[in-house]
Amino acid sequence: MNSSPQVVDFAVGLIPLLAAIMLVLQLLLLAQRMLVTVIRVFALQSLLLAVIAGVVGYTCHAWHVTLVAVLTVMGKVLFLPWLLERLIRRVRIEQEISPWLNMPASLFLCGGLTLLGYLVARPFASAERVGGNTLAVAVALVLTGFFLLINRRKALTQVLALLTMENGVMLAAIAFSSHGMPLVVELGIFFDVVIAVMVLGLLVFRIRETFASMDTSRLNELKG
Amino acid sequence: MDYPAILLIVAACAYVAGMAGALLLRRVGRLALSVGFGLAAVGGACGFLSGVTSLATGQAAARGAVTFWSGPAPNLRLVIQADPLSCFFVTIVSMLGAAIAIYSLGYSGAYLGRKSVGLLAALYNALLLATTLTFVAGNVWVFLIAWEMMALLAYGLVTFEHEDRETRGAAVFYFIMSHIDAVCVMLGFLVLFQAAGDFSFDGLRGVGAKLSSGQRDTAFLLFVVGFGIKAGLVPLHVWLPVAHPVAPSNVSALMSGVLIKTGIYGIARVCFEFLGGPPLWWGALLLALGTVSAVLGVLYALMEHDLKRLLAYHSIENIGIIVMGLGASLMFVSTGHPVLAALALAAALYHTINHASFKGLLFLGAGSVLHATHTRNMEEMGGLVKRMPQTAMLFLLGAVAISALPPLNGFVSEWLTYQALLQGFGSTDSLLRLMFPVGGAMLALTGALAAACFVKAFGISFLAQPRSQAAERAREVPASMRLGMALLAIACLFLGLFPTVFLGWLGPVMNQLTGEALAGRLSLAGGWVLAAPGANAGSVSTAAMTLFGLSFLLVPLFLRRMLGRRAKTVRGPTWDCGLQGLTPRMEYSATGFSKPLRMIFKALFRPHREVQREYEFSPYFARSLRFESHVEEVFEERIYRPTRFWILRVSRRVRALQQGSLQVYLLYIFLTLLGLLLWAV
Repeated sequence: MNSSPQVVDFAVGLIPLLAAIMLVLQLLLLAQRMLVTVIRVFALQSLLLAVIAGVVGYTCHAWHVTLVAVLTVMGKVLFLPWLLERLIRRVRIEQEISPWLNMPASLFLCGGLTLLGYLVARPFASAERVGGNTLAVAVALVLTGFFLLINRRKALTQVLALLTMENGVMLAAIAFSSHGMPLVVELGIFFDVVIAVMVLGLLVFRIRETFASMDTSRLNELKG
Repeated sequence: MDYPAILLIVAACAYVAGMAGALLLRRVGRLALSVGFGLAAVGGACGFLSGVTSLATGQAAARGAVTFWSGPAPNLRLVIQADPLSCFFVTIVSMLGAAIAIYSLGYSGAYLGRKSVGLLAALYNALLLATTLTFVAGNVWVFLIAWEMMALLAYGLVTFEHEDRETRGAAVFYFIMSHIDAVCVMLGFLVLFQAAGDFSFDGLRGVGAKLSSGQRDTAFLLFVVGFGIKAGLVPLHVWLPVAHPVAPSNVSALMSGVLIKTGIYGIARVCFEFLGGPPLWWGALLLALGTVSAVLGVLYALMEHDLKRLLAYHSIENIGIIVMGLGASLMFVSTGHPVLAALALAAALYHTINHASFKGLLFLGAGSVLHATHTRNMEEMGGLVKRMPQTAMLFLLGAVAISALPPLNGFVSEWLTYQALLQGFGSTDSLLRLMFPVGGAMLALTGALAAACFVKAFGISFLAQPRSQAAERAREVPASMRLGMALLAIACLFLGLFPTVFLGWLGPVMNQLTGEALAGRLSLAGGWVLAAPGANAGSVSTAAMTLFGLSFLLVPLFLRRMLGRRAKTVRGPTWDCGLQGLTPRMEYSATGFSKPLRMIFKALFRPHREVQREYEFSPYFARSLRFESHVEEVFEERIYRPTRFWILRVSRRVRALQQGSLQVYLLYIFLTLLGLLLWAV
């Protein structure tokens, strides 16, 4: 980092804080049942990620990390939430989500997953460029995101879970090196995510047309 | 100029042309048949000439490998090489291929208008090409490609008459076994590659010295299983009596005569050239497997009354005899007796070509019978010797050869095997030397049982009165079919009467594999007497035996001419015990003929017999009678069926994993991820 020391100190303090808030938002996602709220919480989380990327890009003078920040704002904070909210209005899904595991148990389990994240990230603590524990938070985000993916039945929430996992991956990439991943890889991931959302959005329509529901657990009727 | 090599290329071109021609002309069945099989015969003849001249002039030994395509990666090359071992096997496949192609000109006519004869001829050419390529492969790539092509094309030919449910099942069984054998062979080559770092056969030569003994044993066992399945060694033989009979007879002849020999080629190539310096137990294992295959093969053959299945079981027997020779040879290599090793190897290779010629002849004979009577069941034949005399004589010649009776070729190679086995007892102090006399005794038993089996096969099928309408209406087969059989019969006679000539050609092969050519040590009296090397070894002359036998035949004729001028010849009816004439129902049946042996080997066969009788007043006036008799196929029942059962059962359990629920699949991934993370921490 080649900015002035005060700026660096500020960034080093700010980034873990923002990352911690991302994790808190993730737990909120886990507990939230209203679809519209879930989407907005996700948008907020993505915004935090964009801020982190922006801070890193500014302090390290890494222009392409800044570009990642801009893309995140455009894609995950504005475009995808707008797309998903429009989808909700169009398919008129009931707002309730019924998870497999109830809320307290889920939160308890996610606490364990977060611990595991810290455990896994510990050996790499010295390699981190931006503040302590950011990598741990990133791993915890991926793991809880995965749990969210399993725990929810609605295709739409599963899409969101996948997106939060992707946020975790991005955070890990930013935390691990001041240069982030090569730009090509990051653009590839963005493109993938957008395509995945489109496909899943289409799938939501199809499932609803076929089963008159958005519940992916009904798909086991297709088994041979 | 290496003319034999050019001939070999001509042969390959003829096969390709035959394949293309038959496919292009497939709409005109008769033409496709002539072009396809005609070119196959030409190719076979060229290949045969190429192989024999390569061996006879010793050109094969001087040849190097030829790279005809070099890929981007360093080891990715296609190499062919025609060394003496390759040339020997090319000779076999070409000889048989040509004879069968001529036979097929007549035989396949029966399919005209019913099936695509063009396809049959094209597949046949392709199979000959693939088999030839397997033998002349110079590196692992070419070998495996040709090996798999061969399996695939053979599958196509086995399933040619796919309207029949039995055929489809047999073909699929064959296909699965081929897969297992290919996997084993590939793994074996990978083990060798790890040490050699080279896929070419030149690079693999003597690679065994670089391997640890554990790796070497693993490779050896993998190759034995892989090549053993292809060869039909007990207990890996079960596919053979299922798949060979259902194929068209000309294909059966090729499969039994040549395709199973690719396994022998593989064992010889890998064990002698690549693995080198074998421990004693390798040879002992092969000797034991060979002995068991020989005895069990002939015993099961005795119980068959399906003519083609009977011949298929005899293939297992003969493969056993060949592998006995190979095993004995490996044992001699490891105990340091190169002369004996060469002798045993010569016996094995001699029997390989012998089996190709007489088994080819017998399968073609069975095909002729099938062609004439449309049945494979011997109990519905009979009396064919009057209706198709030439086929009968050719079949009889093959039967005498396979029963190892002098002066035909089966006798010579089995005699050589005996010589090797009998001298083996003194070759080592290890307890394993007991296997030699036991193997010899078992070989004697095999020979006797084979003779009994062919008395049954010939007697029930060809002699006495016809047992069915079909047999009564049988006619002699077309001339091309008889010609194909006659060519193989000539090969049997030549190999039987002039063994020293042929063993001279075999010299380079033995030299290549054991370093000992036995040049001049096998023949006495200018080549008329065959002698085994060694202090107490025997010698034999089939030519003299023939002369002697013929003279015995001539003397009575001469005496009758001289003394019996006034004798009168009267032909009377056969004595019928005072009944109203003899009917086919009174004939000895195949089942009846083999009954004594079934009882002797009861422990193995576990014969099952069931008689159901329905009657009103007395059991002597039955209204209906049902008789059922069969023997248990031990390997099928005791090994393969339980294995299949367990595989299916485990698969059904594993299938519980397939829930059809997205969440559950995600959970699997998640748990795996967590497990890996925890393991890493």
